[in-house]
Amino acid sequence: MTIPDFIIQKGTKIFLIFAFSYFSWLMLQITLEYLPAKADASFLMIKQTEVHARPEYLYFFYAHVYSGMFVLVSGFFAVLRKNFGIKSFHKICGKIYIVTLLLITAPSGIYMGIFANGGLFSKISFTILGGLWWFTTFKAYKLIREKKYKLHQQWMWRSYALTLSALTLRIWKVVLVYLFHPNPMDVYQIIAWLGWIPNILLIEFLISKKII
Amino acid sequence: MKTLNLILVSGFSLLAFSCKKQNTETTKKTDSLVVKKDSLVPEIHKEMYGIYNGTFSGTKKVNDENGEWDDFEEKRISLKINRITKDSVYGHSIVNGNQRPFRGILNESENSFVLDEPGNDKTDGRFEVKIKGDSLTGKWNAYTKSAVKFPDKQLKLIKKSFVYNPNFMLDENSDLVDWWNPKEFKEKYTDEETGKTENYTSEKQRFASDAVFKINASKQQLSEKDIKNLRKLDLEIIKNAVFARHGYSFKKETYRYFFEQTDWYVPVSGNVDNDLTKVEKQNVDLLNRFIKYAEDKYDQFGR
Repeated sequence: MTIPDFIIQKGTKIFLIFAFSYFSWLMLQITLEYLPAKADASFLMIKQTEVHARPEYLYFFYAHVYSGMFVLVSGFFAVLRKNFGIKSFHKICGKIYIVTLLLITAPSGIYMGIFANGGLFSKISFTILGGLWWFTTFKAYKLIREKKYKLHQQWMWRSYALTLSALTLRIWKVVLVYLFHPNPMDVYQIIAWLGWIPNILLIEFLISKKII
Repeated sequence: MKTLNLILVSGFSLLAFSCKKQNTETTKKTDSLVVKKDSLVPEIHKEMYGIYNGTFSGTKKVNDENGEWDDFEEKRISLKINRITKDSVYGHSIVNGNQRPFRGILNESENSFVLDEPGNDKTDGRFEVKIKGDSLTGKWNAYTKSAVKFPDKQLKLIKKSFVYNPNFMLDENSDLVDWWNPKEFKEKYTDEETGKTENYTSEKQRFASDAVFKINASKQQLSEKDIKNLRKLDLEIIKNAVFARHGYSFKKETYRYFFEQTDWYVPVSGNVDNDLTKVEKQNVDLLNRFIKYAEDKYDQFGR
């Protein structure tokens, strides 16, 4: 007996939605560690060099952390391309995603990438990631202004694949630490790249196969 | 709510304050006692003053389902003799971070001491020891035999000079395994012939890296960069090396094990917080932050 294609598609979709919900829930929890804003909360505990040396660091950091949650969630609903009975829901989500990302989350991400943990190797990765993230989103925005729907969709997939590196990077970290117990910055250098390269490769593959 | 908080906070601080006050009062009393005696009774045998460090071991017969056998325990102990006069001896003992004062008498003809701990702790007892040159030997008996596992113990100590030196490091050929915090994990074993799979639990130990031989938190001011790539055990050893140099007697077996492998470590005190230099204090704060981060975040979903 073969399982019909539409069931596989439906099943995959439901699985992905569940996985996304679960990891977004975890993301929300680690975001809440930064409320109220403190100069030495969580990740900042090992970032005091930058916090002290660069008065602007904390502003960029908190801009990234707080806006990131909105980008992640609005992008998710936009990608589903359904209005759920709310007028222009896709459009509204898309606008929140694009504006927040282009003006706040990506620029602050690039800034933080320059001072990333793990030395030059991870700094390069995070800076490229930030740049590509901004560019793919901007491109998708231009394409929708030109009403090129299919291309808009493809560039949005690229953009959102990079957004999801926030989740995949942290998932890889848990896996690598569980398997190999590496030193913290060794694992950081690896996930800096592993967090987003497979994501974008997968999307390019799906686009080339005309699946999306 | 705010006023309630205020009341609570002020209540607590009052409490804390009054406790502190009591403490200083009692120390003052003993101080004045010593001073008074100083002026009256001359000190004798000053050559015996100092720290004696060595083994503190007990044996006892056990009778259980395994038959009759000897149970054995060995700890390390330090005795510090601070003052000897014709009719009294003052000092303290310290075992695994438990520091207890004692008072006693010296029998001058035999160079033997009878030293009594205060008796308000269940592990207190009486030392009967002899000093011969640099060695101090003898026994200890708990006041309440049922309160401790080994009520009768032997002491074999030698005199050690304790000097703080920021250059002291762990020996480069030390064993770096932490035997006291094993992590249990399940393993599968499949028999190739029968194809049967068995589950069993195994233990994994943490081990330190050679960073603990290189990074000295007593000498230079550390930066985040210096310690960022270290795992928790390394951070803990580097931090506790500061305390070991000041003669801190560790309560945790892990640290005792690491520092007892050196020839310089002499535990003399249960609290050395006030002896730390400015650089050491700053480094300890930094290391504490990284230890906390390593504990909370190292294997978690997050950065």
